Parts: sequence; C-alpha cells; structure tokens
Amino acid sequence: MKQTPQMQKIQDNMRPGVITLDGFLGNDSRNLIDILVEDDADVKRLGYTHKTVAMRMVELRDAGKRGLGEFVSVEPHFEVRVDSVRGKLPCPFGDPGVFPKVNTTVRNLELDREITFTDLNIHFILAHGFYEGRGSNFRLNPGEVIKILEIEKPSEDSVPFLL
Amino acid sequence: MFPVQSLLISVGAITALSTFLAVIMVIADATIANYGEVKITVNKDKEFTVKGGSPLLSTLMSENIFIPSACGGRGSCGLCRVKVLEGAGQYLPTELPWISDEEKAENIRLSCQIKVKNDISIEIPEELFNVKQYTSRVTRLRDLTYDIKEVTLELIEPGEIDLRAGSFIQFQVPEYELTDEPVYRAYSVSSNPKDNKKVEIEVRLVPNGICTTYIHNYLKEGDEVIFNGPYGEFYLRDTERDVICIAGGSGMAPIKAILLDMAEKGISRKTRYFFGARSTRDLFLLEEMNELEKVLPDFKFIPALSEPAAEDKWKGETGLITDVVARNLESGDNVEAYLCGSPGMIDACVKVLTGNGIPEELIYYDKFA
Repeated sequence: MKQTPQMQKIQDNMRPGVITLDGFLGNDSRNLIDILVEDDADVKRLGYTHKTVAMRMVELRDAGKRGLGEFVSVEPHFEVRVDSVRGKLPCPFGDPGVFPKVNTTVRNLELDREITFTDLNIHFILAHGFYEGRGSNFRLNPGEVIKILEIEKPSEDSVPFLL
Repeated sequence: MFPVQSLLISVGAITALSTFLAVIMVIADATIANYGEVKITVNKDKEFTVKGGSPLLSTLMSENIFIPSACGGRGSCGLCRVKVLEGAGQYLPTELPWISDEEKAENIRLSCQIKVKNDISIEIPEELFNVKQYTSRVTRLRDLTYDIKEVTLELIEPGEIDLRAGSFIQFQVPEYELTDEPVYRAYSVSSNPKDNKKVEIEVRLVPNGICTTYIHNYLKEGDEVIFNGPYGEFYLRDTERDVICIAGGSGMAPIKAILLDMAEKGISRKTRYFFGARSTRDLFLLEEMNELEKVLPDFKFIPALSEPAAEDKWKGETGLITDVVARNLESGDNVEAYLCGSPGMIDACVKVLTGNGIPEELIYYDKFA
C-alpha cells in the first residue's frame, strides 16, 4: 500500500538509533502502513478492537502495580510484575509527552506462557493500532496477546486505528 | 489538464524536493560540514580544544570527562544535564520533555543532544572530574536468585577506585547479538568501598533488556568489562539520626554497600532494613545480612514476603513492604530513610514514611526511573 510522506517520516523515527537503539521495526521489511493494516486486519478478523486489547493491558498492569515491583497474583490464574528501568521515551508518531520505561510481565499460569509489554506498547496499540515490526524486541503478536491475556470479545464495533 | 491532477503534481513535486533537500542537509552535516577546532570551557577554568561536530556528551567523554547517562546518549534518560553558560544555540525538541521551566531559565541542557559546533562554556559538578573509565575483569558471576545475578569486577586499569557507598557505575555492553554498538547502563555498586580493587553489582534480568540480557546470558568469568564512574547522590548522611532502609529486588545493592561501610567505619546508629520480596525464592544475601546483624550493634534485617508459597513455611513478616514498614515503624522522630527500588515501591513507601512523621527532605532514594 502506498505510504504518505507523513507516514514515511514516522517510519524514519522508528529506525534503529533514532529514539531507541534497536528501533521499533525489527527486521520487518514492510512499510509502516502495511504493518498497521495487516495487524489491524488480524485484530478485526479475530473479532477484537485495539482499544479492547489495550484496555486489558492497562487493567493487568494496574493490577500488577500492587506488587510494588515484585510479581503479584491476579485472578483467575495470572502473575503480574510491573517494573521500571531508568528513562523515558517519546512516541515516534509525534504524540506529546514521554513514556516511562515501565515493563509489565504477565504470566498466564494455566497456559504456562508469559508476555512482557511496555507503557509505550499500550500507547501504540490504543492510539495507533501499532504492535511493532516483526523481529522487534517488543513486537506483540495480536493473536498471542489476546490469547495470553485472555481478552474477552468486545460488544461494540471495532474502532479504526488512529494516525 | 484537470486542476486536481495539476494540484497533485505540484504537491508531489514540492514533497519530493523537500525530501531531497532534507536528505542532502543530513548527508552534508554528517560528511561535508567541518566545524574545525572548537574550545570547550568547563567551570570557567578548564579549557579543551576539540574537533567540532559531535555531541557534547561524547566529546567530553573523549576528554575523559564523564557525564552520567543511562541511555547511551539517546535522549531517553534525561540524566546528562549540564549548565551551558554560552554557545549551545536553541533548545532542541528532543530536550524539551526533560527540562523544566526553572531549568530552562538556568540554561540546563542535555549534553547528548547538543552538538559542539562552536566555542562553548559549560558548568558541571566538580565531583564529575573524579569520574574515570575503568578496565576490569569479571572474576565471579553468582546467581543470587533465579533472575538476579551478582557480578564481581576486578579492576585492571586504573587498579583502584575511590567511591562512596551508594554510588553507581555505568557498565559498557560491547557489540553483541542485540546491539551493533557499545551501550551504557547504570548499576549501583553493592560492594564495600574499602575493597577498592573491585566492584560488585547486582543485576536483575529485564525482559528484552540489552544490558541485562548481556550480563545474564553472554557475560562469562574472565571477560574484560569497561565501565565508568562513580556517580550519584545516594549515600548515608553524616547525622546521628536513626536509619530506615527499604529495598526490593536489585535495590539491595546500594543499601548493602552502605551497611558494609557502616560496619567498616563502626557507625552504630540504630538501623532497620526492610526488604520486600514475593516468596523465599526472591530472597537473597540472608547470610550476609545475618553477619551484619552481628557486627552492627543496633541493626535488624526485616525481610517481608508479599505472597509466601505454602512450601516456604515462612515465619517472618508477610504483606506488602509498605504494610510491614507501617507495622514496625516505632516513631518517625529523629529518623531518616534510604530507599531503593521501583518507582511504584518508592512512591508508596514515601507516603507511608511521611504519614508517620518523617519529613520528605529526610527521605533519600534511588529510583529506577
């Protein structure tokens, strides 16, 4: 799909060494617009919205904050740890403010699977429907996020991603 | 030709031209631009002549002046502040999220973001002149828990380090699978400052973290490590007040160094150390803490588990560390506190401590943020 100059500029911001050492696109050779469109289609195909995915991440992160940096049990069978490392990151889409480097690790004990996401991941998904490029350290596969976090299907219609 | 087509062609042509010019400017700045030699004046009395064109942070580093930075110069940690007296130009958009209005009035800048293009005069704390770069060798790697590793670095050159208990160093991760260039990350020193031929750090594995992954999965005993330091304002104040320490996870490191230093110097102030963990598998250095209880005349180590497992058969304190501190705090009078851990833990503990009468200015912390 054709990419606008504005989108190209955002994609340039996501390259290694601009905002973070590794960037946000990993070894994905697709244009940003294609990454967004394909993940958006995946999420819709599964019957979800980006907002539903992001809000579940927020819910688990907030529950995990109770642990004050250590893992804490969250019903029905999760363990969640919210930890931070030094630093804050701006959004490559150009949104105002900076995002603290907060890592939330969720263990699904029933599935015996674990996932780690950042506050910037949550913002990416909620505001832009962006799950990062393939091979990126913090890439989240939408289907896996939905499965591991046991996200319930939303009742409302899918919201389009915002750019 | 239709007006719409004509408009699209014009927009396309302008966009292409703008992109082309931007690319030319970036290439020219990187390859053609020659700023020649420029003078850096530090604290009005030290002058260096350097080749212009590079960021101030790395330029100072090449002159053996190390400004603390936890992100390796990417403008994401906001630590590398310096006061610029003249010669830095306008604020860059990448600096603004980190600089308050008060700091702006003082012309505080991020040294990793501003380039040295002409003579520049800056002011930095005098103690940064004591910061050096060290070459060291890994003499021991020890698993403290399933996700916290202790690294012992024996100094090679310089052979000794003069540090204050509670300081941190910047560990250089060399190029490896996850990074194409060396990066620096900050870690508190956990060893006794008296053992000045080595430093120990405690590193918790951060999922996907470049430095912690390197230390946990790639670093071997015998490897050479470069680091610089010491840095930091987290240290035991020279008072007669009782001391409360609170930590969790690898926040143990600077507190342990402070306790070892107290034992070394014969400081006998009443000290209570609350350490939060989830279950016994998250506890570590219990023997060392027991030893300190024998050496320090009025010291108690109080580990607390938030969710002890049944098999732990735990008989100690349980609950969140904030609850345990609140339960055990006898009085907030004549007390100062030292905290190290996640921002959430520190914020919650500050609330409990101030709620129990300890003034905020007597609460010192090293926040991982």
